[in-house]
Amino acid sequence: MSLDYVKFSNGFEKFMPKEYRDMVEHGPFGKKVSVSQMGSFKEILEEHPMCAGCAMTLFIRLAMIAFPNPEDTITVGTAGCGRLAISQAAIPFVYGNYGDQNGVASGLSRGLRLRFGDKPKDVVVMAGDGGTADIGFQQVLHSWFRKERFTTIMLDNEVYGNTGGQESGMTNRGAVLKMAPLGKKFEKMDMLQMAKVAGCAYVATVVPNNPRRVESVIKKAVLIAREVGSTYIQAYTSCNIEYAIPTDKVMEDAKTVENDRYQFSEYVSEEAKQYLTERYGYKEFLPKPAAPAAAIPSKA
Amino acid sequence: MYLVADISVEICASKSCKLCTQYCPEANTILYSEEMGRDQGFKYGTAYVAVDRCKGCAQCVWVCDNMAKNNAIKMIMIDQLPKAALTDNITYGEKSTTAVLASPVVG
Repeated sequence: MSLDYVKFSNGFEKFMPKEYRDMVEHGPFGKKVSVSQMGSFKEILEEHPMCAGCAMTLFIRLAMIAFPNPEDTITVGTAGCGRLAISQAAIPFVYGNYGDQNGVASGLSRGLRLRFGDKPKDVVVMAGDGGTADIGFQQVLHSWFRKERFTTIMLDNEVYGNTGGQESGMTNRGAVLKMAPLGKKFEKMDMLQMAKVAGCAYVATVVPNNPRRVESVIKKAVLIAREVGSTYIQAYTSCNIEYAIPTDKVMEDAKTVENDRYQFSEYVSEEAKQYLTERYGYKEFLPKPAAPAAAIPSKA
Repeated sequence: MYLVADISVEICASKSCKLCTQYCPEANTILYSEEMGRDQGFKYGTAYVAVDRCKGCAQCVWVCDNMAKNNAIKMIMIDQLPKAALTDNITYGEKSTTAVLASPVVG
């Protein structure tokens, strides 16, 4: 895991596919890239079989750009739609058994710290709502209680989209799906509150209709997880197939849902605020300067 | 045949908002060229589509019409495009890309 693993072996450059050469020479490795430069550099995410117009794909694309050091990042995933794209990026991907992604990431994160010491190696879990809140729930929560230092991102499409449309814990109450024809009878799980109770240092909700915000949230979460503790991002990434959203209306849906029930929220612990400020120069957490005192009218 | 996105150079190179490059769900598909557009006398460069990667979702059309209000992108049958960008003909530079346009339909 370093810049070395994306370089050509001597004499092999001319035999490599064009996409690979582009990635080595014009990819984001070892550079600072941002969403404002999208379309001008070679992205590390490659062609993948996810559905046309999928919001989850967009979110994953933005996440790959937001990683502070992609050459020093490992992603961990589990069964679900997201892994179809995450596994097609030029950074190592570990595919856990269903639901054990946070257990795998715990061991990986600890092992990397033993092996590389202070040099940051980022572990980022990206799994669906089923993998995170249902089947992987126990390992997710325990990793948070143990304050394991890696980032957990839930790709919340509010359904088991990969297997035909069963309800998940994150499906909204009353939602009727192909495999839940009577409608869900229970409320959507409040994973954000659980993350806070379990001691996550950073908890945020985000919708991919604001690329700059997605970038900012992921950067902060990954940086905080390097030293402070667990971080959790919950991203609304609609399933346009199971919720029958026309592909050209996916961003309109994202906007509607953001205004309705997925407003941007961000919780940053005091320790994390101090860490971001002192270590990475974030200014947004500095104490606001006191407003100038209102002029006192002089007595005539 | 199938639909792919097509960006009007005239409109895009006059506005250059780059929103479509940020909202396309597919990576390395809507790219930006500083030269294309300027070499036709417009103020800016332009975004363009690598049509072999476009899945035809038309999300860029919604973004261009409703967020940017530029109406520069239309969905067109791929065989109706006389020339288009293809991944093999795209060259990445330091801060921009260039594309040699060719017929997207073989044979």
